Amino acid sequence: MLQFLIRRSIQGIPILFGVSIITFALVHLMPGGIVDSLVPPGAPPGLREEIERIYGLDRPLWEQYLLWLRQVLQGNFGISLVTGRPIAEELVAALLNSFKITLAAAVVGFSLGIAFGVLAALHSGRWPDKLFSLFSIAGVSVPPFWFAILLVTVFAFQLNWLPAQGMGPEGIPTSWTQWRHMILPIATLSMIPMGVVGRVVRAATLEVLSQEFVTALSAKGLQMDAIRRHVARNAAPTILAVMGLQFGHLIGGSILVETVFNWPGTGKLLNLAIFSGDIPVIQATVLLLSVIFVILNLGVDTAQALIDPRMRR
Amino acid sequence: MKARPWLLLILCAVVASAIAGAIGRLDATPATPKPRVLRIAMNTSDLPTTTGAPSQGLEGLRFAGYPVFEPLVMWDLRVTDRIPGVIPWLAESWTVDAADRNRWTFRLRRGVTFHDGSPFDADAVIWNLHRYFDTSAPQWDAAGGAWARSRAPILKSWEKIDDHTVVISTSTPTSYFPEVLTTVLFVSPARWRELKGDWQAFAQRPAGTGAFRIDEVNRTAITMSRNPAYWNRARAAKVDGVKLYAMGEPTTRVAALRSGEVDWVENPPADALPFLRKAGYQIATSPMPHVWAYFLRSRPGGPFHDLRVRQAMNYAIDREGIVTLLNGAARPAQGFWEPEDRRFGQPTNRYAYDPARSRALLKAAGYPADKLVPVRVLTTPVASGQMLSLPMNELLQQSAAKAGFKLEFMVVEGNQMNAMSRNDSPKMGDIDIYNKGYNTGESTYLYYWMYPPNIANYFDKASKELLDEYRVTFDPVERDAILLRLHERFVDDAPMAWVVHDVNPRAFAPNVRGYTPARSWYTDLTTIYLTD
Amino acid sequence: MNKSMILPADAAARAPAPPGRRRANRVLSRLRRDKTTVAAMAVFLLIVALAIFAPLVTGGEPYAGSALERLKPIGTPGHPLGTDELGRDMWTRLVYGARLSLISGAAPVLIALLLGGGLGVVAGYAGGRVNTLIMRTMDIFYAFPAVLLAIAVCAVMGPGLASTIIALGIVFIPSLVRVTETATTRIRSMDYIEAARCSGVNDLQIIVHQVAPNILGPVLVYAASLASLSIILAAGLSFLGLGMPPPNADWGQMLNSLRQAIYVQPWLAALPGMMIFITSACFNLMSDGLRAAMDVQDG
Repeated sequence: MLQFLIRRSIQGIPILFGVSIITFALVHLMPGGIVDSLVPPGAPPGLREEIERIYGLDRPLWEQYLLWLRQVLQGNFGISLVTGRPIAEELVAALLNSFKITLAAAVVGFSLGIAFGVLAALHSGRWPDKLFSLFSIAGVSVPPFWFAILLVTVFAFQLNWLPAQGMGPEGIPTSWTQWRHMILPIATLSMIPMGVVGRVVRAATLEVLSQEFVTALSAKGLQMDAIRRHVARNAAPTILAVMGLQFGHLIGGSILVETVFNWPGTGKLLNLAIFSGDIPVIQATVLLLSVIFVILNLGVDTAQALIDPRMRR
Repeated sequence: MKARPWLLLILCAVVASAIAGAIGRLDATPATPKPRVLRIAMNTSDLPTTTGAPSQGLEGLRFAGYPVFEPLVMWDLRVTDRIPGVIPWLAESWTVDAADRNRWTFRLRRGVTFHDGSPFDADAVIWNLHRYFDTSAPQWDAAGGAWARSRAPILKSWEKIDDHTVVISTSTPTSYFPEVLTTVLFVSPARWRELKGDWQAFAQRPAGTGAFRIDEVNRTAITMSRNPAYWNRARAAKVDGVKLYAMGEPTTRVAALRSGEVDWVENPPADALPFLRKAGYQIATSPMPHVWAYFLRSRPGGPFHDLRVRQAMNYAIDREGIVTLLNGAARPAQGFWEPEDRRFGQPTNRYAYDPARSRALLKAAGYPADKLVPVRVLTTPVASGQMLSLPMNELLQQSAAKAGFKLEFMVVEGNQMNAMSRNDSPKMGDIDIYNKGYNTGESTYLYYWMYPPNIANYFDKASKELLDEYRVTFDPVERDAILLRLHERFVDDAPMAWVVHDVNPRAFAPNVRGYTPARSWYTDLTTIYLTD
Repeated sequence: MNKSMILPADAAARAPAPPGRRRANRVLSRLRRDKTTVAAMAVFLLIVALAIFAPLVTGGEPYAGSALERLKPIGTPGHPLGTDELGRDMWTRLVYGARLSLISGAAPVLIALLLGGGLGVVAGYAGGRVNTLIMRTMDIFYAFPAVLLAIAVCAVMGPGLASTIIALGIVFIPSLVRVTETATTRIRSMDYIEAARCSGVNDLQIIVHQVAPNILGPVLVYAASLASLSIILAAGLSFLGLGMPPPNADWGQMLNSLRQAIYVQPWLAALPGMMIFITSACFNLMSDGLRAAMDVQDG
């Protein structure tokens, strides 16, 4: 097992390396040149050269990359061009805020998905199954930003029950004032994971149910418990993989939903940075989220291998 | 067990309705009866900086500037019947030297302290001027300095006479210098030293002299409380505190007001006004000295180098259409000032939507009649003074197409647009129109936008001479006469296409009282109180 | 973020591959009996037809409007679906918006099909080092969350239709490479391919005549579900202001600019989002139908 973990971690290194190169390169694709975006208005003469020197822009590209990489590895993402604040601090705070809704959305989406999936499979072809199909198709087809606006219109605007935007007091959500801000974002974000996980669970359950020994077991009247255990053992790796990926996409994809709800997470940070041309912030956010995504995938692989030794190839 | 799907569904429904009911009930109980905090939704995409040199344009100055940090001289925001003038503030009085009109002497108010208890005196003034204008000073603040210097480029030197007297000198005699000084705000040197000279740390724990002090700054909000030791007893705050939120999206602001998260929203969308009135919210408007305009950049080779094309653009703008779009929350603009302003004058051109005239002018300028003249517009969706930028621009695109112009847009974020608004910025190269809503209540802006070099690339000998004359004329009546002639010249020379004047709508919760509708970009938060 | 992003190669490509026309016929006859899929296809074709014949089914002037006629409700005479915030006819705007939305949704998938599919076949068929090189490179792109990568690419390239298409194309290529590579690897080891190789048929011919027809099923199933994601993402980029500049509204941008109308005309404001929803659902349903008809196993 340890050997597997080490091997997978080593395999992850070139990927992380590639990710950093792409993130670095992105900025140099920007039209207009990096210095123009960095130099503030009304800058005193000489600042332009100063910035070129600080950012090492006068050096060859590969040297700039190594310079940047060294800084990043030391946890130094530089300073925001717009606010002048250190990016690392801002980014970590934003990430924690994003985690609040994405974690909760994952829990809600996965639980509902598993419940609906099993239910649909047990009643395959009958109305619960059909109802669920409708649900899951809707869940994966609905544009999240539109759904968010609908929720705001109904629950904040018409009924006046929940806040339309914002996060409320900072910190780990313990009070109702904090939770009520999270309900609508969580409802929006959990739609897709619910639909996707539900479909996978349904398929996995159906597969187990179709196996002969299950039929035999149920004839003996042992059914539910045994079936449940069986489903869990056989379908868990796939479902885990799906859930891991879904969680990654939740974090990476929350920008639209955060924009609608004015939620101070990584998505909003990125959105602001894009429209203010704050290149270092864009770079840092993309890099950090991608690294988290890679690590998450590694975690999923490990969990799969723990459950199912066949995966340890 | 035999699974019963309908049971689960019923259970779900019961749980859901229970939660919904609980939400409804919990919401019904008032969360914060005390202290009385006024919560404001600003029309900015991010919170302004809190170092005494606020970002986010004049909206930043309005809320994170004046309420906390103060200038030597200040706009009188309790005047509502005219555009406010400058009154003594941290300086009790000032004089300009009759012999050397660059030399201004300010007598500082005694007994004023910063929020940290340290005294406001001549040393503090000098220290702050170093902060903004002296790149070699240890307290030099690049961000704040850039802002102050762009607003007060003529401020040249300073000198302490005694503990309560300073002399500030300009580089050229400037009759409106006190107006310029309203943008230089003073912060506590003691607090900066206490925080080991770190402006980032200062932003978290700032200290000014204002009616409110900042208690907390985080990613979500700026929280202020009443300054109990405020020097200006007659203008002390009535509310216990103020909370500032940044909400760049108009729908979000209104929804936040509707769901009771804020008590005050800036610039609610025009479409929401009837709805809000019906739901019991108060709508305040005040004729703000504000014009939303297209700066017609006369770059060589560009279409607006030709006066006829600039005038044509002014006839290609459907101002009435914009007013309709804004549900009446604006007035058509025919120039820099409103038509009834004493300085408006009698320009030859009275601009209104006239596609035929626009086309005729374009034809005279040598453009073929069968093709639209393409012009590139730089604009931003959310920024101080930008009103409902995108829909307004789209409407103008429609109206201009009928009058011979094809508008193409480049949309950037507000701060980025400010960063680009230099003529030597390479990104401005092919921009023909710079779209901006700006303040007409201060002479500074007249120079900022019109005096060469300026963003519109406007250079006119006659108006430059008038501006020069205005600068050295200290008599108020004469000054108005100059401005009148200047304005006539501007309108006919058309360096801008003026679109509408804003009436600055604000929406308040029913319990917000005491609002002072000053004809200004700024507002006095100290008169506000909250009822039950 | 969508189901297509979580069912990569290994799941989608488990299709058994008996070649020949009989199979195609069987798939078609199965599809014909699947009412849901037929209905989804009909709705989708209707939207496509409307988009193609937009000038015929509307007044043909998506940009014409008057501020005086703004935000008329659904059912106004002359404006069956009302008017938008600038007084432009909603029906016309929606139909013309379909053109842009379908293009910005379909083009990235087509690009990814060509490039990603091509790379995948090469990787799968060649195997060895070529395979390793291609697949490891794709792993890097796969390491970015889809939405994030699309937004980042769009942000650096500046707003516009081309940016949207390229950004989404880049996002989809790696997953299509994976799907085709898995399918191709499976086919390659089949007896009849080995036989063809031994008898001296050249590689290109084998790929065109033997491999391509057999991997088409799973790849199409996957592409259809990608298209549903693509429509949503393209609209999302527009919604953020990274799509085409006005007045060329696609549904995403219409949705954004109509947001303010929810106070006045909530139903009207919901229309563009509804269209995105319907189109995306059609792609998903068609993908499901195709999957069932072709016996492609679900993950």
